[in-house]
Amino acid sequence: MMYGILVDVTKCTACEKCVVACTASKGRSLKAAERDRAVTSDGLSADRLATILNVGEGRFARKSCMHCLEPACVSACLVGGLTKSPGGPVIYDRDKCIGCRYCMLACPFHIPRYEWDKTVPYVVKCDMCRERIEQNLKPACVEACPEKALTFGAREDLLLQARESIRNYPDKYRDHIWGEKEFGGTSVMYIADVDLGALGWPAAETEAIPALTEPLVHKTPFIGLGVAVGLVGLNWIIRRRDELAQLRQDQAGKDMPHE
Amino acid sequence: MSNRLRIFKDFLWILALAGLTAALIRMFFGLGATTNLSDAVPWGLWKVLNMVGGVALSTSGFTVGFLVYVLRLKKFRPFMKPAILIAFLGYGCSCAALLFDIGLPHRFWHPIFMWNINSFLFEVFWCVMLYFTVTAIELAPVIFERLRAEKISRILHRIAFAVVVIGISLSSLHHSSLGSLFLVTPLRLHPLWYTPWLPLLFIVSAMGAGMMVAVLAKILWGVGYEPLSVTGPASGSPAPLIRIDNGSSEPVRVRGPEGYEMPSIRGLATIAAGILGLYLILKIADLSLNGGWPYLLAGTWESWLFLVEVVLTAALPVVLLALPWTRRSPAGIGLAAATAAVGLALNRLNVGIFGYFRDAGTIYFPSLIEWAVGVGVVAAAGLVLFGVAENLPIFSELPPAAKSRAGLFRLSYGSLRQLWNTALTDSLHRVSLIAIFIIPLAFVLMYPPFYESPNSGFDVRPAIGVDAERAVLKIDGDHGGVTTVFKHADHQKRLGDSASCGKCHHASLPHDKSTPCSRCHRAMNDPTKIFNHDYHLAAVVEKNLITGLNPENYSCRECHAEQRPKTALNTKNCLECHKEDMFPAGRPSPEIDLRLAGAFREAMHGTCVECHKIEAVKLSRPQLGDCRACHESLRSRMTPEAVVAGLSKFDL
Repeated sequence: MMYGILVDVTKCTACEKCVVACTASKGRSLKAAERDRAVTSDGLSADRLATILNVGEGRFARKSCMHCLEPACVSACLVGGLTKSPGGPVIYDRDKCIGCRYCMLACPFHIPRYEWDKTVPYVVKCDMCRERIEQNLKPACVEACPEKALTFGAREDLLLQARESIRNYPDKYRDHIWGEKEFGGTSVMYIADVDLGALGWPAAETEAIPALTEPLVHKTPFIGLGVAVGLVGLNWIIRRRDELAQLRQDQAGKDMPHE
Repeated sequence: MSNRLRIFKDFLWILALAGLTAALIRMFFGLGATTNLSDAVPWGLWKVLNMVGGVALSTSGFTVGFLVYVLRLKKFRPFMKPAILIAFLGYGCSCAALLFDIGLPHRFWHPIFMWNINSFLFEVFWCVMLYFTVTAIELAPVIFERLRAEKISRILHRIAFAVVVIGISLSSLHHSSLGSLFLVTPLRLHPLWYTPWLPLLFIVSAMGAGMMVAVLAKILWGVGYEPLSVTGPASGSPAPLIRIDNGSSEPVRVRGPEGYEMPSIRGLATIAAGILGLYLILKIADLSLNGGWPYLLAGTWESWLFLVEVVLTAALPVVLLALPWTRRSPAGIGLAAATAAVGLALNRLNVGIFGYFRDAGTIYFPSLIEWAVGVGVVAAAGLVLFGVAENLPIFSELPPAAKSRAGLFRLSYGSLRQLWNTALTDSLHRVSLIAIFIIPLAFVLMYPPFYESPNSGFDVRPAIGVDAERAVLKIDGDHGGVTTVFKHADHQKRLGDSASCGKCHHASLPHDKSTPCSRCHRAMNDPTKIFNHDYHLAAVVEKNLITGLNPENYSCRECHAEQRPKTALNTKNCLECHKEDMFPAGRPSPEIDLRLAGAFREAMHGTCVECHKIEAVKLSRPQLGDCRACHESLRSRMTPEAVVAGLSKFDL
């Protein structure tokens, strides 16, 4: 079963309990998290895996990893250090990472963060509290939310629930589920009465980022082989022409009377 | 060795040693302390300029290999060995810089065993690694011939064509894939540079500019070591007039013979310019087909950068190579080659760094350590280039060292003394002398604790009493060692004895009548929060548990409006609960909100200056309203104008 989280932006009061719970459950320093809220542009850092962003019109929303169904970071990581687990979370394997930070460049939501101040740094990102899910617990942020703005469950159920909310309260919600189709779908989805472009959501029909690169990268071995074969063929033609020219020259030399 | 060349090499040594120092500092202190990289700009100078740019400028190895081995153009044979050496060193120093860039350098080998075939970076890693090996194999015959290992060099010659073909094939893959790396950022990279054609544009521009680098190297080598090869025998004297009887009476001016390498140099430069011309056409077609024109015409700084980049990479070299005057002169061709190389580097910087600024919402400028390492590895590669090219037949059949001291590298260590005299004493002395000066200097300049910006906030110390009753206080807000003497008892008496505390102390904590300023204003310059949210939350939860009014998670509603974003405006006023605590003397309550309290400096000034100014007028004692009334240290230094300017801030 593929798990997910549904965020109801209309219920969020920006109390940041989810952020505090997240920081605490990951064993990160609350003091550092508090500092990073002030010094980073969006409040996310290696010590602050989730943040509350002002999405405009007096609405706030939690932002953390969207756990895409076709994640750009997973496709980009050259050592396969990031994986999309069948249960939903996108998981980082710190034993494989070499620190190239390509995942940070690839993520359209700017989610992976780096432990810049460490001498042996790793990437840090939300893993949807994988260990808690395995113990049949909800993720820390979902459990901490006092307004029940976050719902944890199977992705299909959450989609049904979101559609029902939108159908029952058409004047309360926009008729759109962010995360249903964007980038090929995500495990973390949003419903709201405002536009959520501030969270990094693109136009609804934006295709998954791996679709831009993976078909191309799978062709590369054949392109390389084709180039090699072409070069050998080209060289054969040119060599043959040189030989023939040489032959003609020799012939001409033989025909000419020596002085 | 000419003096100018010696100075140039010393300069390279300075850069390389400074880079080495910087690299060590980076290894000890980590990326955050030594670079200006951040979560917003995760890829910086080392990756984009050294790796993506450096590799692109080292394409000469495969382009010249294509001309010489595949197309069998014998004219370009003299370029083959320099091109391979440049490629080998270019790839070498790019990979060296990358080792310092990745966060966990001890795991650089991971991609060999841990695969992700969906990743372009994985493909680039493998191709670069294999191609680096290929350049080493291509370079090997020169060394084995020198070592007289004939059997090995014969084998290497036999497989040369296969190796070259493998090299070209690998290069065609990774030079385009370096562009594909940025295909994953359709929403982040500026649309002027983001295009599905990135791989094509990258490989075409790299081929042209890489050939230009080989051309430039050949010209510079000629200028430094073999003037005849580029300037010809007539150098220094005016071109001779040669009369040719062409039927008319007018004499025809014919230039003197030019350098013997010039025809091939010009030939290669022309091919490179042709490729760059193709690149220019592709770039324009890309703008038209992928909708880049509106962004180019927008007049933003990005469009100017784009314009400069295209002119330098493509337009200028093509024009220079088309004009007969510049075509003929080595300086003209050299200039064309240099602009192409600089333009290509700028293009890679645009795609890899500048194009992301708008999305990142911040800018990035490499730190001193990043510059030192980035330039240092290139300088080190330059030194290796000199060392190899002077002793092995790379640029010319007889290397300069062989001319001056034949037989040194024949491995006849019988002449060990000669080796010592020529190679070691001469250069070792100079280099150690440079190292003695440069390494400490670089260390001092770049050691992070030396340049780390001091914390903007100083802790504020409570005032010290100079007597037992604390009647006179010494206040030293910023730990500057300069104190202000404050006659607390005098002020208290003048303002109305024990009932007057509230006039200065805002007594904001429950049951508190005289909170010291430093309790809340903990930093000299930083505003401070006077409200302790955690304490209040715990207290409200406890109260609710006892009364059984609300379950825990709903305690927020005690103070905050339900279902609304929590801001100061829709939150319960502190006074609603704390009226008795906060204003025990029945003082008229001012407007209280939850804004941040001022910094210590503002708190003290706001408390004292207002009253002092009023009293100065009332008692007609102007010195009371002066900064110098409290700040004794200013008494000698401050001009009256500065005092007025300083006081004007407190016109209330």
